[in-house]
Order: sequence, then structure tokens, then C-alpha cells
Amino acid sequence: MSVTFEAAAPKRSSLERRRVIISAIGWGLCGFAFLLVAVPLLDLVLTIVIKGASAFSITLFTTSSNGVKGGLLAAIVGTAVLSLGSLVFAVPIGVGAGLYLSEYGQNRLGSVIRFLSDTLTGMPSVVLGYFSYITMVIGFGWQFSALAGSITLAIMIVPYLARITELSLQRVPVAMREAAFALGAQERTVAFRVVLSAGLPGVITGVLLGLAISVGETAPLIYTAGWSNYVWNGKFIHQPIGYLTYVIWTFIDQPYKSAHALAFAAALLVMLVVLAINIGVRIVLRPKV
Amino acid sequence: MPEAAARLAPMAQSASEEPRIAIRNLDFYYGATKALKSVSIDFLDRQTTAMIGPSGCGKSTLLRVLNRMYDLYPGQRAEGEVMLDGENIIAPGMDINRLRRRVGMVFQKPTPFPKSIYENVAFGVRLHERLSRSAMDERVESSLVRAALWGEVKDKLNNSALALSGGQQQRLCIARTIAVKPQVILLDEPTSALDPISTLKIEQLIEELKRDFTIIIVTHNMQQAGRCADRVAFFYLGEVVEVADATQMFTAPRERRTQEYITGRFG
Repeated sequence: MSVTFEAAAPKRSSLERRRVIISAIGWGLCGFAFLLVAVPLLDLVLTIVIKGASAFSITLFTTSSNGVKGGLLAAIVGTAVLSLGSLVFAVPIGVGAGLYLSEYGQNRLGSVIRFLSDTLTGMPSVVLGYFSYITMVIGFGWQFSALAGSITLAIMIVPYLARITELSLQRVPVAMREAAFALGAQERTVAFRVVLSAGLPGVITGVLLGLAISVGETAPLIYTAGWSNYVWNGKFIHQPIGYLTYVIWTFIDQPYKSAHALAFAAALLVMLVVLAINIGVRIVLRPKV
Repeated sequence: MPEAAARLAPMAQSASEEPRIAIRNLDFYYGATKALKSVSIDFLDRQTTAMIGPSGCGKSTLLRVLNRMYDLYPGQRAEGEVMLDGENIIAPGMDINRLRRRVGMVFQKPTPFPKSIYENVAFGVRLHERLSRSAMDERVESSLVRAALWGEVKDKLNNSALALSGGQQQRLCIARTIAVKPQVILLDEPTSALDPISTLKIEQLIEELKRDFTIIIVTHNMQQAGRCADRVAFFYLGEVVEVADATQMFTAPRERRTQEYITGRFG
């Protein structure tokens, strides 16, 4: 038997040849698909970094823009206010909903909430923006304002927060809940002091990702926050507010080089903030002990 | 309690041994499945009772009746009489949080909370008592001393409990349980996830603890039942087949099924 095997070895059979060719085609397709994604991404990142970085200067962070040139101070402050403001509304509601779904959501109400939440996730953000425009900006008479913008962003990120919270709390072992109950703990103690505290890294991840989403959103803000060249004056309603993504979206259409530079600088800033948040997420999720 | 004593007669209980828990005609259901069938058994004060039997025989189920852990799960229900100090604990209206303070439980796998060692022990105490800082420090220390863990952790009480070894975590869970000063301690296969040395430490600890607590332990390990228990109850298919002193159970069981089980002929 070994003799026939050795005799056959030097020459590849047609089956083997076929296998090698198919394998090569497979690898070729994989490489092509990789380049298809990686090259545009790399081009995008490099363009933003090069054009954005060349526009970076101290005045970028200390002055505001008049629409053509200047700095991004008003937009940076505005994005911070809108994003942090959205967390004020979204965290209690989103984390609360996730806690409910994880601890008590194994019923009909739970599936209804999950379905609605998933629907909200799939809602185009521009539709949300228009909804807020009709209800808050016009209906409540708030006009373009920080409050309308924050609430709109909050509506966007609540479903993400709820789902991430639910998933991370469900990973807390049942035995840990039982151990707390076995000590005579009440339901609220188990939910808040044991389950939520054990699942906290996951919840913080959700909050950070929500923050990243709201920093990078444009469409929900167009109809709700408006735009202002001036640094936010502390008013929550009746006062439009600037934000970085608006600069990216509109300044690039201006016929001025200085405006283009500002748009790239804003894009680089948003990219860096989102990158920083994602690094933060990794640090939170890094296993301890 | 003359009435209870009269009913105890068939179990050949000596009159001086006071039952801490007296169970009569207990049925337990998981939905439509009957997991315990008319179980009657006594657990004596300051003694260790081991419950043995093949998987699915109902011994863990019985344990979870004694602190009403089954209440967490809809569809599970118990019927009958489970008297703890003259009070039927499965009757409606029972204050379950108070009951669980009196009847503590240690689980199969160690279940430390992701908090510091100190906070793990203090957690249960805070649910039931308001102690001053120094009184709490004392309670935490004495609980850890009694759980034979103090020497190993006294310099790192603020470290995470998750950094302890499995055996240490289980002793921490025992410390956490005794810190709330229960009367009864339920142990659900407390050493099945531990190495032999940790197991030995826990068994020695059980020997110590029975001076102050009524101890009920579920175990798959017959040797462990022989080493730790004063009395042994053999469960089979949801029924109590036999309850006897440990020595008698392992040398001269009365029932044929008991003998077959402890000699390894089934299970």
C-alpha cells in the first residue's frame, strides 16, 4: 500500500488540482473584498487627518466662526452640551428600560417594549429630527434649541442603551441574584445594588457608545438645534446652538478655502472624540483581577 | 409540643432532641410535575443533617423550600406544613425576607458579589440592621473568623472578593451567611466545585458551625455525608426513603433501596 501511495505522491491528482485552484480563488476574493473596504476607509481617514490637521491651530479652539473662517469654539461647546444633555435624558430611561427588560421583561409587555425599541433603532434619524421639529420646535414653541436637540439625540440612543444594558445584565449569573435573595434582600436591592453593580461595565459601555452616536449625528439636529455662530449662552430654549457635524455638513459647500479647512478640522475632531470614546470602552471592558 | 411529638413517633425520635424544622406531608410542584411527594422529616437543632440521593431525587428542591427560594419562579409551588419554630413558613403571609434572614443558604458555586471582601460580608447585615461603623467592623471580623478566612484576608479587606480562590470565595459566602445571624444554614453541594483541600476546610468549618446553627447539607458525596453529618436522609424519586444516624445509615440501613444506593448499585 505504501508503495502505491509513494508512487502517486509526486503527481497531483485532478481532484487535488481543483482544490488548490478553488482555494486560490477564495483567497483572491477575500483579498479583493478586504481592499474594497480598506482602501476607501484608509483614503477617508488619511484625507481627514491630513486636511484636518493642517487646519488645526490654537485659534480653532479659542474663537468661533463667522461662517467663512475663524475657529470652532461655538461648535465644540455646542456638541458637548447637546451630547451630554442627551445623556441626561437617555441614561435614566435607557438603563431603566434595560433593567426592567432584563429582570422582569420575560412577559408580553417585555416583548412589546423590545419590539418598539427595535423599531426605534431602525428609524431613520432624519425622521426623528422632523418629528421633534413638529412637536418641540413648533408644537411646544421651543424654537431651535439645545433642549430640543438633546431630547432628539436622547430618543435616538435610548434603544441602544436599553438593549446593551439588558444584554449585559442578563450575563450576571442567576446564582448571584439568588445569593442576594437568600440573604433576605428585597427585589429593588437585588436589582440596583447587586445586578446593576455587577453589570456596570456593560452599562458604562452602552453609555459611552450612546455618547459616540450623539457626537457623530447630524440629521436629528438639523431640524432641532439650528445653528449659531456664537458660543452657547446657557439658554436651553429659544436659542439655536452650533455643533461640529453641522460644520462638516455645510461648510464644505462654501466657496471658501478657509471654510473647507474648518469642515475638515471638525471632521477630524469628531473622529478623534469617537476614537477616544471607543478606547474608553475597551478600558472599561478590560477584564480585571 | 405533645402533638408534634406524637407524630414524630414513627420516626423513632428520642424525646430530648428538639426539631428546629418539622416538615409534614410536603408536596412540591414544578408546574405540573410533582417533585416532592408527601415528605415528612425533622431537622434537629444544632445538628448537621445530610440529604443524599441520586440526581433529581428532590433533595435540592427541599432545600429551596426551606428558604422559599422557589418563590422567585412562577409555576413552582409547595403544599403542606414546614414548621420553623412553630410557624408554617410556606403559608401565605410569611415575611420572606425575615425568613431568609433566619434561614441562610450557601450555593454550589461560590457566589461572591463583585464588591470588596468587607462589603460582601456587610451586604446582608445592612439589609436587616443599622450598625455603627465599629459594630460593623466587629461583625465582619467575627464572621470572617468563624468562617476560618480572617487570617487569609485581614490585610486586604478592601480588595475585590473576585480575586480570592474558589475555596476562599466559598468560605466568604459562608461568612456572609453567618454575618446576618441565621438559625439555620442550608448548604447546597457546597464543595462540589472545590479542590480536596478546600473541601476539607469547608467540612471542618461545618463541624464548627453546628455548635451554633442547624445545618442542612445536600451532597452527592457519600463520604462527605459520613464525615460531616450527624443524621442522614436518603431521598429517592421525590420521597424520603430513610432518615437515620449517620453511622447507622452507612453501616446498617433499614431499607433495601438505601443499601443499594450507598453501595453504588444505582444512582
